[in-house]
Amino acid sequence: MSAPEPSNDAKIPVTILTGFLGSGKTTVLNRLLRKPSLAGAAVIVNEFGAVGLDHLLIEASEEQFTLLDNGCVCCTVRGDLVATLKELDRRSEAGETPPLNRVIIETTGLADPAPILHTLMAEAELMARFRIGGIVTTVDAVNGAATLERHVEATKQVAVADRLLVTKTDLVSDDALNALLHRLDHLAPTVEQTVARNGEIELDLLASLPADAAAAVTRIATRLEAVAHHDHHCGPNCQHDHRHDAHHGIQSFSFVIDKPVEWDAFARWLDYVAALRGEDLLRFKGLVHVADEPERPLVLHGVQHVFHPPARLDRWPSADRRTRLVFIVRDIERETIARTLVKFASIDADSIASPVLAAA
Amino acid sequence: MPDRSADLVFTNGRIYTLDRKRPWASAVAVKGGRIVAVGEAADVSGLTGASTRVVDLKGAMMMPGIVDVHAHLMMGGQAELFELRFPPTASFETLIAHVGEAAVKAPEGSWIIGGQWGSDLLPKLNRLEALAALDRVSQGRPVMLRDDTYHNRWVNSQALALAGLSASSPDPEKGSIGRDAGAGALTGMMIESAAGIVERTIAQSGHYTQEMDRAAMARSIATLNSYGVTAFLDAAAMQPILAALKGLDDRGELTAWSVSAMPAVEPSFMFGIAGDELIALREQYRGAHAKPDFVKIFLDGVPGARTAAFHEPYTKDPVLGCCFHGSTIVTVPELIRWVGKCEKLGLGVKIHCAGDAAVSQALDAIDVVRSFNGPTKLKHHIAHASYIAPTDIARFAELGVVADLSPFLWYPTSFLEGHKQTMGEARALRFWPNRDLLAAGALLAGGSDWPVMPNPDPWDGIEGLVTRRNPSGAFPGASLWPEQAIDVATALEIFTINSARAIGLADTVGSIEIGKSADLIVLDRNVLETPAEDLADTKVLTTYFEGRVVYERA
Repeated sequence: MSAPEPSNDAKIPVTILTGFLGSGKTTVLNRLLRKPSLAGAAVIVNEFGAVGLDHLLIEASEEQFTLLDNGCVCCTVRGDLVATLKELDRRSEAGETPPLNRVIIETTGLADPAPILHTLMAEAELMARFRIGGIVTTVDAVNGAATLERHVEATKQVAVADRLLVTKTDLVSDDALNALLHRLDHLAPTVEQTVARNGEIELDLLASLPADAAAAVTRIATRLEAVAHHDHHCGPNCQHDHRHDAHHGIQSFSFVIDKPVEWDAFARWLDYVAALRGEDLLRFKGLVHVADEPERPLVLHGVQHVFHPPARLDRWPSADRRTRLVFIVRDIERETIARTLVKFASIDADSIASPVLAAA
Repeated sequence: MPDRSADLVFTNGRIYTLDRKRPWASAVAVKGGRIVAVGEAADVSGLTGASTRVVDLKGAMMMPGIVDVHAHLMMGGQAELFELRFPPTASFETLIAHVGEAAVKAPEGSWIIGGQWGSDLLPKLNRLEALAALDRVSQGRPVMLRDDTYHNRWVNSQALALAGLSASSPDPEKGSIGRDAGAGALTGMMIESAAGIVERTIAQSGHYTQEMDRAAMARSIATLNSYGVTAFLDAAAMQPILAALKGLDDRGELTAWSVSAMPAVEPSFMFGIAGDELIALREQYRGAHAKPDFVKIFLDGVPGARTAAFHEPYTKDPVLGCCFHGSTIVTVPELIRWVGKCEKLGLGVKIHCAGDAAVSQALDAIDVVRSFNGPTKLKHHIAHASYIAPTDIARFAELGVVADLSPFLWYPTSFLEGHKQTMGEARALRFWPNRDLLAAGALLAGGSDWPVMPNPDPWDGIEGLVTRRNPSGAFPGASLWPEQAIDVATALEIFTINSARAIGLADTVGSIEIGKSADLIVLDRNVLETPAEDLADTKVLTTYFEGRVVYERA
């Protein structure tokens, strides 16, 4: 791990809009782009297939619009994404387009958002100008459950989201909708869900995404406590479906650590996890109480084997000064993380708790 | 009714089985290359039919074939069959004369490859006059001559041209191309990594055909068979080696079980594809007796060259200063990534660790992998488990890591003298804590590291394990850390059943038990009753591989 760098919230947020085929991404985008507040937004559409049918539906000016023709966003088009973002920034700086204040990337239905995040986290020039503005994943209420069952890609898109947007809810019964929401809750307990009623979408979607990294972790921490309460209410004889295999081995869990963390040891542990299980560490976020700078917590963000340089906050976002770690993983048990934290990150076993216990 | 009779029955033997449940027997029966009975005469008499070949051992000792956990097979065979050989003591004039004779006989355009010149000749060869002399006798054939360290090459002008080298060629990283002090013209001397430029040119030229590769490998295996070895792990198997093993196996000509360790990175002494690219091809090289089941990682160098990684610094050096520890080539997270990846692929990892800090790092990496992944049936090896921090001894057993004991250096040698110079005498002598490893429950497995050591004779290694004195009589009276000596029976396990476990073939080889491969050797003495200082004189009279005679002492 490199040394922490100061956070910079003056960067242009890049929001990733993802979701499975037919889940309503393009409709969402169309509605969003009608909003006056998005006048300075650029949209990058990643087409799947040879003909760019989807993009014809987008009502956006040509200047706002760049098309990647290489199919799925993955390592092979990463270079294009870099070039596109740089070009958007250059044109905005040169006054050729209105000032750029947001970028939205609409992925293909099959896309794994991780490589896009990697591009934003690993390319130094982009990191200076852009920041990750969150992942919004659309889930269609009609086919969502079946899609999640069948496609690991869809499950990953939900698991790594910052925000879930459930669409087409007017087409299903309340029971079916509740079952889906419950399922999403277990798959992505730290993610806020927005339900589009009667075809209308909450258009403050982007504004409601966390504005900076600390807010993101605070939000997740808050959310975790809500989840903890939920689990608490659920009780030991809870009949809900808690099977991990229902989610292709993908699960999320979190830890609260109530003693200061030795950064060198913790960073070494992160190196180990990234080296060995990076592929299965779909997303990791943390707010860390570091022993040698207790007043200024570190914000951590990792996507698979790539870690954002840790950002040092000027102050704690709330009175809660405990270290909070959130993991979204595939085929890694919570117990494995806890055990290796104790063994390699010099963390006292007694100081690790789940939010459930912490909330009690 | 199916014919129950055995193909081969041994009687009247002193058969040491290496099976702790039944250490001794007098008779063994073999059918279809497998052991079908072990016991006394009565146990095999019912299996002796009209077509059964009966071998009366006349009281001779028989034991399972030796398993060599660390050898490099191709190079020795190639050198013996296809290369010009001269001793490192050869003078410049002798060397030139040898090349001249070979060039006259060599077909036009074919490479002349030879070795090994003494590295003390380097300054003399690294001159334009010497190159001119070499060119004069080469008959226009490209020539490449290796030195005795295997690190450097001296080549002629034709070879330089084929490698695309000229005075304007830059030096490669970690190497240099010899140049004349005045004009800067190339002298043909290729130092360290520069050697690879010419070696790769040869590898890509098709100079070594697949037939030659198979012949070289078969020659090397025949040498192993003559010492009683019937299973081995090739510790740096490049593509031609994998192809030769598979080619021999498909032809029924492979006379030993072979396990291969594919290098994660192209080694400094072998050339061609490595790492993921090579590993991806492994299934096409798998055969009934050819098993590409390991990956080789070099973590450091060697103590004598101050390239091994130690916790404590080397002795003071004019260039490296007071406090140089050596360093590892691969970081712990990189090693973790490799071990993790290999475990996913079902491959064991053999990690070269010559210094105690390298051993610690390898154990640390495996500890991380175990902590995340839980137990595994795969065996990872630390080669060469020789300088080990006392606190690491117990970790071998705890982590299930194999201590690859190779090469046979657990007695006073010139290597040890070199170590004394670089490490100081006290530290140099804490070499090979075999008894401590054993007491801590580690799996110790025997290997030769041939041809790093001039021959793969396990009996030399076995004597050294027991006496800690040089079996050749060199360094008379001197012993190396004698408290670490072990007994013969344990040494025999190390070279048979333990190595079989280490290479993943414990169900097939390593002991004389029903169902196992009939890999059997007949010895000229009972090594369990032989005075320790005579163990290295042991000769193998006959070697059987799957019940077939593959070596018979003349």
